[in-house]
Amino acid sequence: MPKLHELAKTIRSKNAGVNQVTFDVIFPTREAYQRVVEGRALTRETMAALYSIAPERISDFVEFELANAIKFTIFRERPSGSPGDWDTLGCQFYGPLVDLDVP
Amino acid sequence: MADAAGRRTMRIMISTGHLGTAPSGGESFAAGMATNPDFLVADGGSSDPGPVYLGDNRVLGQFVEDELELFLTTSRARGIPLIIGSAGDAGSNHGVDETVRQLRAIAERHRIPKFRIGWFYSEVPTEDVAARLAQGERMPGLGGFPDLTVEEAGRATRIVAVAGVEPFIKLLDMGADVIVGGRCGDICFTAAPCIRAGFPPALAYHMGKMIECASLVAEPFMGKEAIIGTISDDEIVITPFHPGQRVTVASAAGHSMYERETPFFEHTLGGLLDMSDCAYSEVENRSTSITGARFIPDSQLRVKLEGARKIGERYMGIAAIRDPHVIRNLDAAIDWSRSASAKTFKDMPYELHYHVFGRDGVLKEMEPLRHLTPHEVCIVIEGLAQTETQAHKLVDFATRMFFLARIPNSKGSSGLAACSKQTMRSSPGFVWNVNHTMRIDDPLALFPTHIAEAGV
Repeated sequence: MPKLHELAKTIRSKNAGVNQVTFDVIFPTREAYQRVVEGRALTRETMAALYSIAPERISDFVEFELANAIKFTIFRERPSGSPGDWDTLGCQFYGPLVDLDVP
Repeated sequence: MADAAGRRTMRIMISTGHLGTAPSGGESFAAGMATNPDFLVADGGSSDPGPVYLGDNRVLGQFVEDELELFLTTSRARGIPLIIGSAGDAGSNHGVDETVRQLRAIAERHRIPKFRIGWFYSEVPTEDVAARLAQGERMPGLGGFPDLTVEEAGRATRIVAVAGVEPFIKLLDMGADVIVGGRCGDICFTAAPCIRAGFPPALAYHMGKMIECASLVAEPFMGKEAIIGTISDDEIVITPFHPGQRVTVASAAGHSMYERETPFFEHTLGGLLDMSDCAYSEVENRSTSITGARFIPDSQLRVKLEGARKIGERYMGIAAIRDPHVIRNLDAAIDWSRSASAKTFKDMPYELHYHVFGRDGVLKEMEPLRHLTPHEVCIVIEGLAQTETQAHKLVDFATRMFFLARIPNSKGSSGLAACSKQTMRSSPGFVWNVNHTMRIDDPLALFPTHIAEAGV
């Protein structure tokens, strides 16, 4: 079973405003994108389970065919840069996606 | 200007998506400037680095002066107007004043002939916001924030409103050669000159979106390299100036969704940029052409407010643990530090946060692998209290409690954590407490403009 990083070109996360973090997974080809979309490895449900968050914390989940990309956005536990938040830019939230198994 | 097909165009160059974080790439900058763009623009900041920059009037970048010097000297030498948005990171009045002061000093140092420098402010007095709320006005939250209350507005140390294109257009009308903007939308300092020149607002805002982070719109990944956006009445074309970069359909479409909740929409003061029907195509000069953006004007203007509230002074301590028995009982060690601190500092308000690197320091409760037992961990103890002295004492104690942790059946009796160096002072702790919208009638009302002469 391949890992997501073997199929994707870009896997990233970043702030989208001060209270949300958005994740972009971009594939080099339509085939790779389709494979992950159809394999259902990256869905609202699998992401809520992976990050142990309630599905309501995922504010947006979009399959963006034009860019061969899957994009989803979550609400933060607390606004970025608050005491207790280490990743002010949200730029390392994607970590667990890199080695995600893709059926 | 006109392109090869005889259409009128405007070309806007940018080399940094965050002024001063690192120097702009010299070669691509020179190559871009050599083509005589119509404007040079730069993003001076954003809310991204966190609330302390707004709350405490701090500047993040260590290369602000270097970049301002490069931008001012080269743009003035060619007579190209320079526009900087969200000056001083947060776009506070202090950030604007400080940027204007730096530009004036650079102009004098380089004996730059007289030019007109314009600036506008974005701060809104917290008491004005609180007073409007007290009269019953509703200010809905963005990004999951509840409606703003009088009390919360009053607790903000500083509030800025996020400007649209209008103050930039006004300053250009007043004859400014250089503009220093307070807090503004990241897409607005590019869109403003295009809209003023009569280009379609949808394309102007979309070009602002595409080039706001300079070379991040291109591939392969490189920061701080020059990009030029060219707008006509029909399309925008994004061109890289680093010879190793291309703007491709994938990189441009990928960037259109960067740092936003959805790939299709971007709000700005005055309306909504809709990118859902855009078409991208690769053209000559390693560039990509984009068409199809729509702009849907709002029926009622609502300006975004950003505000930061101070929590306290902050120190940080570091404790490193190698004893596997202590690591297996890490939560007990943290509980010990927390409860001992609660007892010792019971008479003062404080906050303690434990960042356990090696386990879940970045993601905390969201970390899928937090159940694994690492062989070594580093705990950063972040503590806040009302005064510096209290915060220092608190964090020093909470850190030492790992050294002195009481873990049943521990074999170690000489200290259960390796602690190095002194407890360190950090920036004061702030939180974003205002992330709301407020109704306005005039898009210029909150953003007073000023213009003066600079240079020699």
